[in-house]
Parts: sequence; structure tokens; C-alpha cells
Amino acid sequence: MSGGGDRVLRARNLTKRYRQGEVWIDALKGFTYDFPPGVTAVVGPSGSGKTTLLNLLAGFDRPTAGEVFLAGHPLHALGEDERAGVRLTSAGFVFQSWNLLPTLSALENVAFPLLLKGIPRRERNERARALLAEVGLEHRSTHYPNQLSGGEQQRVAIARALALDPLVLFADEPTGNLDSAAGERVLELLLAQARGNRRVVLVTHDLEIAARAHRVLRLKDGRLVEIQGDDPT
Amino acid sequence: MELLALVLRNQKARPVRSLLTVLGILVATASMVLFLSFGEGLRQALASEMTKFGPEIRVVAEGTGVFGVPNPELDQGVLDTLRAHAGELGIARLFPAVVMMKGSGFDPATTFLFYGLPEGVTPKDLAPAARLVAGRLDPHPDGAVVGKQKAEQNRLTLGKTLRLSRQAEVPVVGIVDAGNGLADSFIFVPMKLLQRVLHTDQYSVILVYVAPGHKVDEVAARIRALVPGVDAQTTTEAIKYAERAIKIGDVIRFGISLIALIVGGLLVANTVMMSVYERIREFGVMRAIGARRGFIFRLVLLEALLLALAGGAVGVAAGYLGSWVVNLYTTQAVGLALSAVTPRLVLFSLAVALALGLSAGLLPARVASRISVVEALGRL
Ligand SMILES: Nc1ncnc2c1ncn2[C@@H]1O[C@H](COP(=O)(O)OP(=O)(O)OP(=O)(O)O)[C@@H](O)[C@H]1O
Ligand SMILES: [Mg+2]
Repeated sequence: MSGGGDRVLRARNLTKRYRQGEVWIDALKGFTYDFPPGVTAVVGPSGSGKTTLLNLLAGFDRPTAGEVFLAGHPLHALGEDERAGVRLTSAGFVFQSWNLLPTLSALENVAFPLLLKGIPRRERNERARALLAEVGLEHRSTHYPNQLSGGEQQRVAIARALALDPLVLFADEPTGNLDSAAGERVLELLLAQARGNRRVVLVTHDLEIAARAHRVLRLKDGRLVEIQGDDPT
Repeated sequence: MELLALVLRNQKARPVRSLLTVLGILVATASMVLFLSFGEGLRQALASEMTKFGPEIRVVAEGTGVFGVPNPELDQGVLDTLRAHAGELGIARLFPAVVMMKGSGFDPATTFLFYGLPEGVTPKDLAPAARLVAGRLDPHPDGAVVGKQKAEQNRLTLGKTLRLSRQAEVPVVGIVDAGNGLADSFIFVPMKLLQRVLHTDQYSVILVYVAPGHKVDEVAARIRALVPGVDAQTTTEAIKYAERAIKIGDVIRFGISLIALIVGGLLVANTVMMSVYERIREFGVMRAIGARRGFIFRLVLLEALLLALAGGAVGVAAGYLGSWVVNLYTTQAVGLALSAVTPRLVLFSLAVALALGLSAGLLPARVASRISVVEALGRL
């Protein structure tokens, strides 16, 4: 089945142009793709536009040209706060590092999106506890980020990303700072989240990791140059 | 509530900085409270003073200041005229007095205010609440009745001799407690004696009790109309006059404390701005997760408000303490509690602290809420 009908995550002719001093850099050039359910890895050399793409797909930034739909919302046409609202309910994020709010405990970090959503404290904590258990960290709920290992921090971040059961999960080099054992555990957890209609977008340098996705998009100089794997379109 | 918990969490993470900022606001607010408490104290002292003073009107020579020490410039004719028309003027009772000030007038300890009372008039006729402490109430004949305050200040006890001039001396025959009012620092002597000392047979002042059923202002106006060259001053006039002076003082005192307040406000702004710059990445994560700009804005603004309010509250308490210490001294020195922290002063100070936090927090809050998500996330 094509992912296109419901516009869960779809980019059309997506372009981002940065100015660096005198010169203009096209960080992303006419990216068009309709993300199907499952895990989509995005690979490419450094500077090829992977993070730029993710920023646009997640609505952190607005494209210079083109369209991007997330959970049916036209992010390219929405303002800052509207995009934030779409992110809150429809997307989860795991970055390479520094994911967590340092003054909040693991439990409070996981509960944070629920707080933004206005869910009462009791229910919030209950759900956050369950999510922490899901990533195997119920015994770390009162720990602060600086009391957690890198792998544990990433798992808390995954739990938080799942808090509002999003349609799309974005991860930018989520294992980039971890050793192989911890990285493997985080990766497995992440891949396991591609259930039902959910899309997982995984940006990585590591081709071995990319090979475990359902499909791989290769970027080069801001262009989508290759699609590998089960592309249903 | 949730926001408040987040803010508190952040303050707890940086306790020293938060404490120092609160301390800055504390000093600023405390100094403002203390400064302004003098105006409030004066108002209260004045009001209680005026209610302790029996006669509602004092008739003095034209040109005498409302709080001035009047010269003996009223002649017998004025007294006679007033006595003759007392009924139609609405005067219940009146008597003349002579006033003489000796000493610097600045230092209460070396200033002596002699009040010459005619025969048949005692300190009780000036300050109805006056209470005899020792000796007798009437200075006649040839004695001095000293206000308790003055007596304590200059160690005047019964039998001690007071010198009015090179020729005139009187022994202390009584100590009277006029309830911490101005009369408490008077020295009452027979009027004839003062007139002799001043080489005059005129009067400084004629004190008037208004008859029941008459309005004080109207009686004063009638006196002024009837007798040329005199002024009839009422206590309400005196209060109004003083109120104007106190108000001007208030403005000046607030102006001075404004400097401290501005410094305190800048301190809060600086602290909050610094904490914003340190937490750009944090705000980026919040925004990425889905926090709207307003959430970040409120978070930062609340932080500033909280710091300012905490400093303000403790500052008011410190100002209250300071005012208490000041009063300890001024009641000793001049018999008046010059400083008062009234409820409205407390409310005003808290409002100022709140306004301070608000204005100090607006800019950092705006900066924090406008950070671009991409830039914030790019910063490690
Ligand atoms: N804010 C910016 N201003 C100017 N140029 C930018 C900006 N962000 C990215 N670029 C440029 O856009 C291009 C793509 O950058 P991007 O970060 O998307 O690459 P990437 O594939 O994520 O690289 P890496 O693997 O190193 O993370 C690069 O040439 C980069 O220098
Ligand atoms: Mg990148």
C-alpha cells in the first residue's frame, strides 16, 4: 500500500537554500518522497543535507520552496506555533545527544509532552512510568539525566518520543555517541517502534544500521539520488 | 502551577545565583520601604498629635507659619474683641498663651519650648489626655511643669531649677505625660513670667475651643473676618499643610529609592538573561517536542517575577524590621515614632517588586521565546 493517500509524511519538491556570506548553498534540492509506514533510513556523506531534510520534515524550519505534510498538516504553510502543535501530537524525536531536560528526572522528562498537552499530573506520571518500563528503565525514573548513561539517556528519549503515540518518529544519529552494545539496544528499541501505520525516519552514517531499515534513501549534495529496499510506490 | 514547578526546579539548580538576585531585590525593596515609611510615620504622628491637641483653632499674628513658633504680637485688644464676640463667633472657650523657644531648634535635646499659660489654665487644657506623673499640674505660682519626654531627655526632676533668662529662674514642680505628643516636650510656666522675660505684655497665641454645633472652619473664617491682622489656624489646615509637605517628601524619597530599584531590576534582568542563554539548547528541545512560544515566554517571565516577588516579600519584612529599629531611636530622641510600615505601603512595595520583575523579565522572555529551533538544537 502506498503511504501517499493519508499524507502522514510526504515531501514534494522540498528545497532549502542557506546563505553563507556571499554564496548561497542549496542544502536540499527538490526532495520529493512519500514516506511509507515502517523504517526509512536516510544516508549520505557529511553535508549532504540529511539534517536539513529532517528539520523540514519535522517542521523545525520552513522550506525555501516545496511542500511537506506531516500527519496531514501542510507544515510549509503553518506558523511556528502551529507547527509546534503538530509536532506535539504527531511526532517524536531522538537526537544524537542532549535530548533530555537536565533539571527534570527521567520520569518528568518522559511526562513533559503530556504536560504540554495538558494531561493531569496523576495520569501523566502513570503513563510515563509505563513508558519507562517499556524501555526497561522503570528503576531509573527518579534519576536525573546526568545520573544516566548515554544509552539510558537515549532510551529515556525514546520513551518520551512515544509519550503521545506519534505517527512519525524522527531520529538523527541516535546511536552516534554510544558504544556498540548500548547502540544496539537503542537501535533495536527504535526499530521495534515501527508498528502499524507509524513511520520511523532514521538518519545515519552507518550503512550497517541503514541496512536494517525497510528502505534506504541516499542523499548526495542535497539531492535524493537513490532509493533502496521495499519502496511501495 | 506546572510552570511554577518548572521554574522552581531551575532555581534549585542554581541556588547561589538565585539567592544573590533575591538579595539584590531585597535590599532595593527594603530601602524603599524604609524611605517611604518615614512619610507614613509622619502622617500617623501628625494625626495622633492633632487629636491630642485640645483647642481646634489657634489665633496668631498674620504671617505666622502653620507650624511656626508665634511671636508675642497679639495685643489685649484682640483678646478683648474675641471675648466680647465669643458667643456669635461660636467660641466655647478661649485663653491666651505666650511661647518662647530657647536653643538651636534642631537638636531636640538642646531645644526648650516654654509655654506660658495664664492663671487657671493647666497643661490639661492644651492636651486633654495629659496625665500627671509627679508633683502638681498647675505651674502657678512660679513653677515649671515639664513634659515627660523633655524631662527624661534633659534629666529634669522635681526641684531642679530651669533658667529662662539671666534674671528669671523657676523650679520644676510637676512632670506631665502628654502621651508622647508634641506637648510632651513642652515646658509649661506661668504666662506672666514669660512676658516678663520677653519684656512684653502681648500674647503669642490665643487658643480657641469651638462651641458644639459650630463648624471649625466657619468659626476660623469668622475670626479672620472680625479681627484684622490675625490668622486663625485650624488643626485640619495644619494637617493638610503638612500632608502637602509629606507628599513632596514622598516623591523625593521614592525617587531616591528608585535608583536602588532600577539596580535591582537590572540584576534580575541580568540573571534571567544569563539563564536564558545557558538554556537555549533546553528551550530548543522543548520547542522541538512541541512547546509553543508562549510556553517558553511564560516560563522565563515567571522566573523573573518569582525572583522579584521573593526579594520583594523578604525586602518588605526587612524594611519593617528597619522601621522598628528607627522608631526605637526616634521615640527616644523626639518622642515620635517617625517611621510606619502601613498596609498600603506593604501593598505598594509588593506591587513595585512585581512591576520590577515584569519589566526585567519581558526582554529575556521575548529572546527565549523567539529562538529558532534549528539554531537552538545546533548548539551543544
Ligand atoms: N544554518 C545553516 N546555515 C548555512 N548553511 C547551513 C546551515 N545548516 C546547514 N548548512 C549547510 O547545508 C549543508 C547540509 O547540511 P546538513 O547539516 O543538512 O548535512 P548533514 O547531511 O546532516 O551532515 P552531517 O552528516 O555532517 O550531519 C551543508 O553544506 C551545511 O554546511
Ligand atoms: Mg546532520
